[in-house]
Amino acid sequence: MAYQFDFSFLSEYWPELLRGLWLTLKMSVLTIVLGFLVGTVLAIGRTAHSAWVRRACGVYVEVIRNTPLLIQMFLIYFGLASLGLKLGANFCAILSIVINISAYTCEIMRAGIESIRKGQLEAAQCLGLSRLQTLAAVVLPPATERVYPALTSQFILIMLTTSVVSQISAEELTSIAARIDSITFRSFEIYLVVALLYILLAVAVRGTFWLIARLVFPRLRRLGTPL
Amino acid sequence: MGIAKYMTSLVVFVALSASAVTASADQLADIKAAKAITIGVDLGQAPFGMVDGTMKQVGSDVATAELLAKDLGVELKIVSVAPANRIPYLMTKKVDAVIASFSITDERKKTIDFSNPYAVIQSAVATTGGLKVSALNDLEGKEVAVTRGSTNDQIITKAAEDEGLNITVVRYDDNATATNAVVSGQQDVYVVAPSLLVPVNAANPDKKIEPQLTLKSFPLGIGLRKNEPEFKAWLDQWVTDNLASGKLRETYKTYHNVDLPDDMASFN
Repeated sequence: MAYQFDFSFLSEYWPELLRGLWLTLKMSVLTIVLGFLVGTVLAIGRTAHSAWVRRACGVYVEVIRNTPLLIQMFLIYFGLASLGLKLGANFCAILSIVINISAYTCEIMRAGIESIRKGQLEAAQCLGLSRLQTLAAVVLPPATERVYPALTSQFILIMLTTSVVSQISAEELTSIAARIDSITFRSFEIYLVVALLYILLAVAVRGTFWLIARLVFPRLRRLGTPL
Repeated sequence: MGIAKYMTSLVVFVALSASAVTASADQLADIKAAKAITIGVDLGQAPFGMVDGTMKQVGSDVATAELLAKDLGVELKIVSVAPANRIPYLMTKKVDAVIASFSITDERKKTIDFSNPYAVIQSAVATTGGLKVSALNDLEGKEVAVTRGSTNDQIITKAAEDEGLNITVVRYDDNATATNAVVSGQQDVYVVAPSLLVPVNAANPDKKIEPQLTLKSFPLGIGLRKNEPEFKAWLDQWVTDNLASGKLRETYKTYHNVDLPDDMASFN
């Protein structure tokens, strides 16, 4: 069956698509930054001395990683509203994604932290570094560098996952596309365009991570070799 | 484009082959002779048609079909149809008529005939918490929940644009999610078919969503095959009589909890 492609809707709707793309980008950046911070704190908690802290972080990670993001989002958006706490759709979307991604980031960062050799920790102790100083100067930088590729792919995944927040009426790229589709019925063309936009976004995110790596990891910058 | 063309030719082909088999002159006479009428009803479209807790078929379309069969003096056979197969069931003579929340459109009129409108499906502004809305201006600055891409979405979006009102249209993927948002209190205002609210309000008596302002009514007709002038004339007269006697209005009110518009004839 011959199919006639018709991209004429673009001339009318491209500002809408750009608006959706912008919200997707904003959401991705916010959730990646916050998710990384919260996840790192959780990872430190999972490797803490106190068994209670370790257990609490462990339960959080297990609960979040074993429930779908959509369910978490519905619980926050509809559940809290039923209890009288009315939060906006964009806020709920970002909150639920941060909660979700932080559990995954926690496990990735924990792997990095646990890869630091005991000898290095003992050396830090001999130098008289406090626990916080050890964490900041000896443990976290090489731990992050080691799991950096895994973090990057997880964050690109979460950028793509923002597409599900259209379910709770946040008007990001996918949601805008669905709306244009319901007016113009050019589904094939619209989702082709949207897929292309997501690819461009993913390439941009990957490029940004590459740049950040060059900036913050001196060894990589000077020698060009991974840790 | 290609698909639409293919479907049209399929429908025409089916229609032609169906009419070739039996070249009956008058469907009305056939129905009376057989002492039975087969009517297609959508039983998945509460409160138009549904199956209740005791597996009984109920709803305003079911009640309308029962009334029609009684007035014809024949036995009623109900066949369950879905929105997508209403026209094929008619064209292949699996049913004599279709009473299934069937909106009268020009596109459909090319293939089948409709009786005069016996009911409507509406697009209305409904609210929770006793919020009163008597005109669109009352929605200034408010968030309004709709199902994305639905007729309701298009009507309120256009109305807000045309009147220059600052209304935030909050769009959800399906009816269930939009209803959830209103029931849970994310939005107080909902643009929806009031009929859809009947089962919702029955399930949530504490948090009723009340229709406030009707934005638009879409007439529903009884679908029948083309070239059946006697049957069509009888159906038109039957609808007119029963709207006048109030029987159809009563049925609608029972299941939909809203009144039919006074001037149903204006949709003819």
